[in-house]
Amino acid sequence: MKKLIAAFGLALLITGCNATTPEKPASKQAQYEAALKNAQAAVDKAASVGGEWRDIRWKKSKKKYLPSAIEAAKAGDYDKALKLLEIVQFQAEAGYKQAMAQKNAGPRF
Amino acid sequence: MKKMLTLLLSAGLAATATQAISGPKEDLEKFRTHFEQRFPGIQLDDFGNGPYALDANKRLQWEDMEEFPPYDVYVDKGREIWETPFKNGKSFASCFGKDASKVRPKYPHWDKAAGKVVTLEGDINKCLKANGEKPFGWKKGKIAHLGAYLGYEARGKKLNVVIPNDPKALQAYEEGKRFFYAKRGQLNVACADCHVYYPGQRVRGQLLSTALGQPTHFPVFRAKWAKKGKGDGMGTLHRRYGGCNKQVRARPFKAQSKEYRNLEFFHTYMSNGLEINAPGYRE
Repeated sequence: MKKLIAAFGLALLITGCNATTPEKPASKQAQYEAALKNAQAAVDKAASVGGEWRDIRWKKSKKKYLPSAIEAAKAGDYDKALKLLEIVQFQAEAGYKQAMAQKNAGPRF
Repeated sequence: MKKMLTLLLSAGLAATATQAISGPKEDLEKFRTHFEQRFPGIQLDDFGNGPYALDANKRLQWEDMEEFPPYDVYVDKGREIWETPFKNGKSFASCFGKDASKVRPKYPHWDKAAGKVVTLEGDINKCLKANGEKPFGWKKGKIAHLGAYLGYEARGKKLNVVIPNDPKALQAYEEGKRFFYAKRGQLNVACADCHVYYPGQRVRGQLLSTALGQPTHFPVFRAKWAKKGKGDGMGTLHRRYGGCNKQVRARPFKAQSKEYRNLEFFHTYMSNGLEINAPGYRE
């Protein structure tokens, strides 16, 4: 029983330590850099088939998700940057799929 | 059984082949028939009046507006541009010929040597560059003023785009057609969705016009484009293409890009035989 309590205590201690240790900024930065690379590749792929959506990076868009993500990262707000890159990734992949699906579009009459 | 299968397979292949070789002429017939059946009371040339052909109240307002049209001043500016000599003493007439009324009906056309669709705006800037002048911007301002003048002079003449039997020209036509029917942007909407399948319906306060007849009245004066920061109200067809793409949340292509030139080729061909009534007034 004593052993069991000790093991349980140790497990709690480890979990507690893990939960309270803040993620190092460096790892967030690494996550951001990887996400940016993936997102840029996805955007280029969508653009190559004419399937890029408006708000990813078009200069007149009010949202400009990709440049905004880069700006947020420059300001050190990696959480915001990662959230924006998630949108970029989704929109770029969806735009590519849409363009591929519409490759043979024609009239319905 | 074997014979039956062969027969079915041949029939299937023949059907596919027919679909694949459905050329511009067949496309035009089907396109026309679609609008004739959808709007049986409207005369062919009236489609050139856009939404005003579809709604009696809007038509009345538009007819009032046409008594003192806001584009008149820009037609005059265009005339001035046409008549003003370049620094080298030549003028636009040296590129396009003296008769301004014959210019607009030639566009767009297929240039075999260049292997591309040539537009009026493209040739305006080509003429300027060839004469050592600075080219105009592509979407509004002087290029639209000159286009408005050339359109005005050509009023009553018919659109007559020729798709030559040249594989490259046919490819450009097909690309324009595909662009027109392809859904795009976050809203997943094609040009055809609004202007072929749902004309006469409203998008917010705007009445959707028919694709048939749209190219007859460009460049246009749009009230929306006359608001502060947007310009003087005048704009080219490619400006409108960009606006439509933006509205469905797709990234617009550049004016005079290959995509929009091919689209103009297809789009204008579909209105062949309709009278030019540029410049038009639109909300």
